[in-house]
Amino acid sequence: MSSLSRASLRYLWRHPWQLVLAVLGIALGVAVVVSVDLTNESVRRAFDLSVQAVAGEASHQIIGGPSGLDETLYTQLRVELGMRDSAPLIDIYGKARASTLHVVGIDPLAEIPFRGRFVKQQDAAVRTLLSTPGTVLMDASTARRLDLSVDDRFKITVGGHAHEIQLVGLFGSHDSNPAALDSLVITDIATVQAISNQPGRLSRIDLKLRNDNGTAAVLKRIHSILQPGARVVDAESRSHALLQMTRAFRTNLTAMSLLALVVGMFLIYNTVTFAVLQRRGLIASLRLLGVTRGQVFRLILGETLLLGLIGSVLGLLIGFTLAQGLVHLVTRTVNDHYFVLTVGELVIMPWPLLKGLALGVVATLLAALLPAVEAARTEPHAALQRSGIEVRARSLVPRLAMTGLALTLGALVLLVLPSRSLLLGFAVLFLMILGLTLMSPLVVSWLTHAVLPLAGRLFGIQTRLALGGVVASLSRTGVAIAALMLAVATTVGVGVMVDSFRSTVEQWLSSTLRADLYVSAPGLSTIRPEMALDMAVLERVREVPGVAAISTGSQIMVESDGRLIELFALGLGHSILPRYPLKAGDPGQVWPAFLANRGVLISEPLAWHQRLTIGDLIPIHTDTGIRAFPVLGIYYDYSSEQGEVLMQRSLYEQHFEDHAVSALGLYLSPDADLQRVIELVRDATLDTQYLMVRSNRTVRETSLAIFDRTFAVTNVLRLLAVIVAFIGILSAFMALQLERVRELGVLRATGFTPGQVTGMVTAQTGFMGFTAGLLAIPTGLVLAEILIEVINRRSFGWSMKTVVSADVFLQALALALVAAILAGLYPGWRMAHTPTARALRQE
Amino acid sequence: MIQLHNLSRTYREGQCKREALRSVSLTVARGEVVALLGRSGSGKSTLLNLIGGIDLPSTGEVIIDSQVLNRMSEYERTLFRRRRVGFIYQFFNLIPTLTVLENVQLPLELNFLDVERADQLLDKVGLTDYRDTYPDRLSGGEQQRVAIARALVHEPTVLLADEPTGNLDAESGRLVLGLLGDLVRVQGTTLVVVTHSRKVAELADRIFVLDDGRLTDRIDEVIW
Repeated sequence: MSSLSRASLRYLWRHPWQLVLAVLGIALGVAVVVSVDLTNESVRRAFDLSVQAVAGEASHQIIGGPSGLDETLYTQLRVELGMRDSAPLIDIYGKARASTLHVVGIDPLAEIPFRGRFVKQQDAAVRTLLSTPGTVLMDASTARRLDLSVDDRFKITVGGHAHEIQLVGLFGSHDSNPAALDSLVITDIATVQAISNQPGRLSRIDLKLRNDNGTAAVLKRIHSILQPGARVVDAESRSHALLQMTRAFRTNLTAMSLLALVVGMFLIYNTVTFAVLQRRGLIASLRLLGVTRGQVFRLILGETLLLGLIGSVLGLLIGFTLAQGLVHLVTRTVNDHYFVLTVGELVIMPWPLLKGLALGVVATLLAALLPAVEAARTEPHAALQRSGIEVRARSLVPRLAMTGLALTLGALVLLVLPSRSLLLGFAVLFLMILGLTLMSPLVVSWLTHAVLPLAGRLFGIQTRLALGGVVASLSRTGVAIAALMLAVATTVGVGVMVDSFRSTVEQWLSSTLRADLYVSAPGLSTIRPEMALDMAVLERVREVPGVAAISTGSQIMVESDGRLIELFALGLGHSILPRYPLKAGDPGQVWPAFLANRGVLISEPLAWHQRLTIGDLIPIHTDTGIRAFPVLGIYYDYSSEQGEVLMQRSLYEQHFEDHAVSALGLYLSPDADLQRVIELVRDATLDTQYLMVRSNRTVRETSLAIFDRTFAVTNVLRLLAVIVAFIGILSAFMALQLERVRELGVLRATGFTPGQVTGMVTAQTGFMGFTAGLLAIPTGLVLAEILIEVINRRSFGWSMKTVVSADVFLQALALALVAAILAGLYPGWRMAHTPTARALRQE
Repeated sequence: MIQLHNLSRTYREGQCKREALRSVSLTVARGEVVALLGRSGSGKSTLLNLIGGIDLPSTGEVIIDSQVLNRMSEYERTLFRRRRVGFIYQFFNLIPTLTVLENVQLPLELNFLDVERADQLLDKVGLTDYRDTYPDRLSGGEQQRVAIARALVHEPTVLLADEPTGNLDAESGRLVLGLLGDLVRVQGTTLVVVTHSRKVAELADRIFVLDDGRLTDRIDEVIW
């Protein structure tokens, strides 16, 4: 190792606190990105595995409407068309021993070409599936998790009904991808039909068609025997459409993680800048000895590269740990809002790790580029003068502000472009953030100059010195303030967005939820009433004293223009009028037309995604084929990101062979007692199925709890951004302490007490925190507007009213102030307690 | 040989111009020792910086061993300085994160020379026992001896010293000065030394005075 490299490494080693903070800053920045990537990839992988586990080798699938397919179609396929490469399947989700299980009913005799692994290995057990109802096979690791052995009996709950089933065999762990089988239960079709109360129905029929010229002819023959509502789809595109539903959600998570990395980059920039500034004397000495600019540049970058590598590797480890928590939060959100995901485990894949490593190293090098250039460009004699750096930094401030202004204007130009691109939306967001951040040192300078005379008069020399130090060391303080401002602005922006969203959803819930009580069967999603109610339930509930009227609801997934959307069939009881808040359409005209079945209403996200407006026709795959329904109005809806169609029950039943109801809304007579009616409903339905009977208030509270859960990930990321910024500002003050030892030694020699020195440092850090908090408020509000009006709109199509409470401002100020003061405490103490003689000896 | 032709150096300070050097011309022969005297702000350090190639004149030429420094690129001047020039400063400017030996080895490493010579120089300055010590453990006089070893280890043709005893006590100053004189005479190195000290000046073959940026050989008693 050369002496230059040794000198550089020993410098890092001699400043362990700075080293640790820099590495930690990089590590946290990388950790956030890696954890979100790992989580996103795990969700995608879990989805792929779920699909792969049951899709097998199918090239096409025959699917039906909400009630699936009649099993006679399968007989027709094999007997009339002689299609041997076909396999029927029915799948449901159930709960057993607090775990969600994906129960798949198959015809073992038809399985070998599709999912051969289930039948090949377990011949005896497979025969049992056929001969004994209520018997199942399970993946060995799932059985271990549920503490089950072969021949054990256990209870599985489906749609409020508990059934006892028996485990008769296990899948081998030598499967090529054991994770694909996690939580999978295989049984005979008849067993699933029995426990899900769907006699004679199938979810789909898998087909294995050769990709040749004959395929079209085969498809034509299949179409000729299809029942109304049934259709043949490409297996891959079907699963792709399902995964697409979560795209915007995953993109937003990625953007949040990148924001944390940007804050991390500020920290790295800060750290490297300090390292350069502190060593200007040393760099000057090296330059005098004949070390070239290139060598200085490489020295700084090499050092930073090392920090970047160590930080990034540590970041991968922290990211992995963080992702284990995040994956559960995200899986829960996916289950709440999109589809049932049974695999909730973190999957480690090389790509997110490599990306995190590369991003960490590249971000570190990019952040170090400017300080390294600065170090290399410094003339040997100028490098010895510390004031020169500040003079240059001060001359740079107006140029930075101009660049910031140009970026902000650029963002505004992009904003007015007639585009729906989410990517462009993020470009606007990042340009705006960068622009406003670059302007902050100039504002800090102005603000300090404005406050200085008055503060000096009011609080004396200590305050004047403290504030003066902020401007005098703008090259360091400016960056620290900008980093803290950015982190706090992020929390303000995201906070205002979440508050606005929550308030909008709260208002929407109170205007949409009109019934006094809601009845549904427990499903896997807390939001969607997905399980069918027994036919007897409706009759019994109708008889309960105090129930004046009942509305019914059924929520199903349908396909429209290649997208999967939700359809809500609303059955309005006598004297109940729909009260959905409309975004477009005159209620006086819309509702009579809706009740007359002249069309459907669509939700705001659906109108956005499919560019539909009143009067347009929306095509929907129904059991009677593709039907186009006139759009009568557009209503606000925050329950579904992909969009929803509202159809009156009677119209629904004209087009769908589905008489199941999954939710009831009960309207009570004015004198009815709510609690009493809940008890009566429970008593009346006790012997039918287990039901959830929830009051209007409970549903609202549950919905808001789910809303909060959805943003739990966001809150974790926000918190991390603040921690990164806190480390940044702590690192900045530690460095300042090193810088100013001699200056403070002089103050101590002239009579400043340790308390006065601590007070001065605290005043300075407090002022810096206050300034960062002050600047974070307008920046955060701009950020919030972009998140609400651009990112949310383009991702989900939701509109929301911006709600800004005074709390947000106070929180921003308090957060910045507390972070800065806390970060300044230890350096302040150190400065105050450094022996004066030693401080004065410092060169 | 050092040749300075009509050197001027002007600094701009806001709207004002300050002339640090005014038409300075000087020729220093190979192996000659020259002392530069002058009050604070008279331009001594500026002249040293120009000779060392770490600053450029506003007008005039700096020629060392027939090479015109002010026509070189910054990179060429750095390499020139690395091979031909040694520096000694009042505050030593040692690398705090390198040991005494490593500090002395540094110029040899930069010039791809055999680093063993560093031990010989350390022996000559009497610091062999401190070879693995870090500079902050040494006294001022010892640090300056390390600086002298480092400045001469690669046998530069020109040695530039800015107040080499300015930060030392009388005894240490005398020791350092003796060492410096001996080594430059033995190596035949040209030495330009900036000083306020009569003792340092006595080491010189010739003495010049800088007064308000002008060079004269008239020694004003006021300086002492």
